[in-house]
Amino acid sequence: MQVIENSKVKEKLYIEKLENGLTVMIIPKKGMKKKYMIWGTNYGSNENVFIVPGENTKTEVPNGIAHFLEHKLFEQENGTNSLDTLTALGVEANAFTTNDTTAYLFYCTDNFYPAMDELMDYVQNPYFTDENVEKEKGIIGQEIMMYDDSPDWQVYLNAMKILYHNHPMKIDVAGTIDSISKIDKDILYKCYDTFYNVSNMAIVVSGDFEPENILEEIKKRLKETKTNGKIQTFYPEEPETIVKEKIEQKMEVSQPMYTIAIKVKPTDKPEEMIRRDIAIQILLELLVGKSSKLYKQLYDEGVISGGIGGTYEFSENYAHVLISGQSNEPEKVYHRIKQEIARQKQEGLSEQDFYRIKKKIYGGYVKDYDDIENISNTFLTNYFMGINSLDYLNQIDNIDMEFIAQVLNDIFKEDKMAISIVKNEK
Amino acid sequence: MNYTKKEIKKGIKLHVLKTDKFKTNLMAVFLTTKLERETVTANALISAVLRRGSSTLQTQEEISKQLEELYGASFDCGIDKTGDNQVLKFYIETVNDTYLPQSNENILKSAIDNILDIIFHPLVENHAFKKEYVEQEKKNMKQRIEGRIDNKRRYALDRCIEEMYKGKPFGLYRFGYVEDLNHINEVNLYERHQQLIKQCKIDIFVSGNINDEVETIIAENQNIKALEEREPDYNTESEKNTVKQGEKIETMDVMQGKLVVGLDVNSQSEDEKYNAIIYNTILGGSANSKIFQNVREKANLAYEAGSRYFKYKDNIFVNCGIEITNYEKALNLVKQQIEDIKNGDFTDEEVENAKKMIISSIELIDDEQDTSITYYFGQEMSGNEKSVEDYIERMKKINKEDVIEVAKKVEINTIYFLRN
Repeated sequence: MQVIENSKVKEKLYIEKLENGLTVMIIPKKGMKKKYMIWGTNYGSNENVFIVPGENTKTEVPNGIAHFLEHKLFEQENGTNSLDTLTALGVEANAFTTNDTTAYLFYCTDNFYPAMDELMDYVQNPYFTDENVEKEKGIIGQEIMMYDDSPDWQVYLNAMKILYHNHPMKIDVAGTIDSISKIDKDILYKCYDTFYNVSNMAIVVSGDFEPENILEEIKKRLKETKTNGKIQTFYPEEPETIVKEKIEQKMEVSQPMYTIAIKVKPTDKPEEMIRRDIAIQILLELLVGKSSKLYKQLYDEGVISGGIGGTYEFSENYAHVLISGQSNEPEKVYHRIKQEIARQKQEGLSEQDFYRIKKKIYGGYVKDYDDIENISNTFLTNYFMGINSLDYLNQIDNIDMEFIAQVLNDIFKEDKMAISIVKNEK
Repeated sequence: MNYTKKEIKKGIKLHVLKTDKFKTNLMAVFLTTKLERETVTANALISAVLRRGSSTLQTQEEISKQLEELYGASFDCGIDKTGDNQVLKFYIETVNDTYLPQSNENILKSAIDNILDIIFHPLVENHAFKKEYVEQEKKNMKQRIEGRIDNKRRYALDRCIEEMYKGKPFGLYRFGYVEDLNHINEVNLYERHQQLIKQCKIDIFVSGNINDEVETIIAENQNIKALEEREPDYNTESEKNTVKQGEKIETMDVMQGKLVVGLDVNSQSEDEKYNAIIYNTILGGSANSKIFQNVREKANLAYEAGSRYFKYKDNIFVNCGIEITNYEKALNLVKQQIEDIKNGDFTDEEVENAKKMIISSIELIDDEQDTSITYYFGQEMSGNEKSVEDYIERMKKINKEDVIEVAKKVEINTIYFLRN
C-alpha cells in the first residue's frame, strides 16, 4: 500500500487501488476504541442523466433516486433488513446521500468484522421488489415533509434555485413526493448497476488497526465483478450568470433567515480546488468572521445577534460561496456585505489579520483529525474529486496575501451574488 | 485515560482527565444552580453578557482576536438543565502544543486564564455590567427565546416537558422568559452574577495530554484564588411530577405533525435507572426498537420514530414525525408497544442486543473529550462514583425480567401533538 505521511498532524494515510478499481484508504488511529468504516460511491442526487454501460442511449431518471436507492439497499432477499442486523451486533449503522456521494457506514467497538461482513454483503447484493419499493415511498414522503418544515433547509434550497438555471444542484436531494412516486424497481436496478460498480467506489477505514490486515479482510469480502469502465454522465449546460437576485419564502420562523450565495465558476483541478477552498475560508473570516469589522458593526447596531456562517461548496461541475444567518434586516446584511467586499477590494486586506486568521484555520485542520468519523467522510468525498485531504495541511503554507486578493477579486463578484430569505407572513 | 477529582475549596471541584489520544486540550467550567422561576432568565442572560467582554479582553472583537491568535481556540457557552438545576457551561478548546509550528507559546495557560477571566472577572463599570452589553443581550435573548419555534421537533419536545412539569422547576425553559427581561438591568444583573459565583456549585474540567502543571495554573489563577468556600446552592434531589397531564394539542403552521409522548418510568432507586436505559433501547432507542420497527418499518407512518430516556428525571419521551391525519393511528401504535413490553412480548435476544448497543456507546465515552466530561459531571451530580468499567459491568447484569419490572411501572403522563 502507498503510505502518505503528514508530520504536522502526525497522521498516515494508507491507500491502494485494487485490480477491480476499488480504492481502499486506511487511517490508523492508535489508542482509539472507535472503529469506523464507510463505503461510498461517486454518485449522488446530481447524476440524473447517464448512459447505462452497454447501452447507446441516454437514460434520464426521476429526481431523488440516489437517495431512494440508499434507503432500499438495506433490504435483503431473506426478508431481513441490514440496518436491523447491524444494530443487533451493537454497532451504529447509517447511510447518507448528498449531491455527489452516496455512502454506507458503521462504527463500533466490538464486532467489527461481523459488521464488515454485513455492510459488504448488502452493498453488493441489492434486492428490490415492487412491494418493498412501494412501502418506502411512505417513509421517504415523511422525510421530505420534515425538510419542508425546516427553514434552514428551505432557505438553502431556495438559494440554489436562484443560483442555477439548469444544474441539478437546484433540486432537493430527496426529490419530491411526486418525483419519487415514479420510481420502480427496474429503475433502481439500472442506477445500481451503473453506479455501484466497485471501480466507481471507495472505502475508508479508521481505528486502531494494522492497515495490511484490513486490506486483506476487505479483499476477501469482495464479489467477482467486471469493471464497467468510465461511466458517462451528463449535466445540462449551465450559464455563468445567476437566475435572479432574490427569493423569499413565508414560513413560521421567529426571525428571518437568510442565505447569501455567490456563484463561482468551478475548476476540476484538485490543487486549485484546495487552494481556493482555503483562500475562501480565510476571506470569509476576514469579511464576516467574529473578529471582523463588519461583524462588530452589525452586532453593535443590533442587525445581527448571532454568528454569520460562511462555507464554500464545490465539485468539478458546480461551486458557490454561502453566507448564512438570522437577522431582522436580511437585506441590510446583504447590502453591507456587498459594501464590505468592495471596501476590502479597494483598500486591500490587512496583513496582520491575514496571519492571525491563517493560524486559526490551521488549528481547525489539526482539530479535525480527532474526529474519526468526520475525517473518514472528508477523505472519502474529497477522494472522489481527486483531492487528498492531507494536502490541505501542505497547501495552507503556500497561501499568501497576493493569492487571497486575487480570489477576492475573481470570486466575490457582485453580479454573481443572490439572497434567499425565509420569513414570517406578518 | 486517568481521571482524578479533587476539591480545591469547599463547593469547587477540579476534575482532571489525562489522555494522550487527542490533538486538543479541552477545558470546561460548569456553574450549577437551582432552577427557579425568579432567576432562570437572569442566569441565562449572564452567560450572554459574559461573552461580550472581560476585564482584560473588553470587547467581543478582542476576545475573538485572542482566540484566533491561540490557533483558533474555540470558546463556547451553553445553558443546560440537569435535573432541577440550571447549568451554565463554558468551554475552551486549544490545539496541543505538539501540533503547532512553534511550541514556545503556552497556549493552554493563556486559554485557561482567558476563560476564567470571562466567567469570574467581567467588564464592570460603576459596580455594574456595561449597560450597552446588557441592553443588547436582552434584545438578543428575547429573540433567542422566541426562536424556539424554529426547530419544530425540539419545540414539540420542550412543550411536552413544560406541560408535564407545569409549575415545577423542570418545566422552566432553560433560556427563561421574555417578560422577565424588562425587569433586568446592568445593576441587578451584575448583583445576580456576584451572588451566583459566590453560591453556585463550580466544577472545572481539564482534559487532554496534560501534566500536573495544569493544577498549578488553576490553583494560582487570581480568579480562583478570589473565590470563597461555599455550601453550594443546588438541587441534589429532583422533584417528581405527580399529576397526569393528559392530552395537549397545539397548532402551528407546519406540514408535518409532531407527536411527543412523555412517560413516567417510576424507578424505585438510582440503581434501577440502569435497567430503564435498556427498557428505553428496546422501546424506541434503536433501529431495532419496537417503535422504530412498528411505526416506521411496518406501518410506514414516519421517518423519525424513537424515544429518549432522561435519566435525571426518570422520564422517557417518545417522538414521531407523522402525517397529521395519522395521529390516532400512530398514538395507538406507540401505546401498543408500551403494553407489549409490559406483557413480556420481546425476546432475550432483544435484551442482549440492546445491551451490546449501550455497552458499545459506554466504551466510546473515552474517545470523545466532551462526552467524557459530560459523563463525569453526570456522576458528580448523581452522587455516583461509577467508573466507565463499573458502568459496563452493571449493564451486563440486566436480563429480561429486569426489563419487565421497569415496563410494569411505566405510565403515560402527557401526550403532546403539534399540528396545523
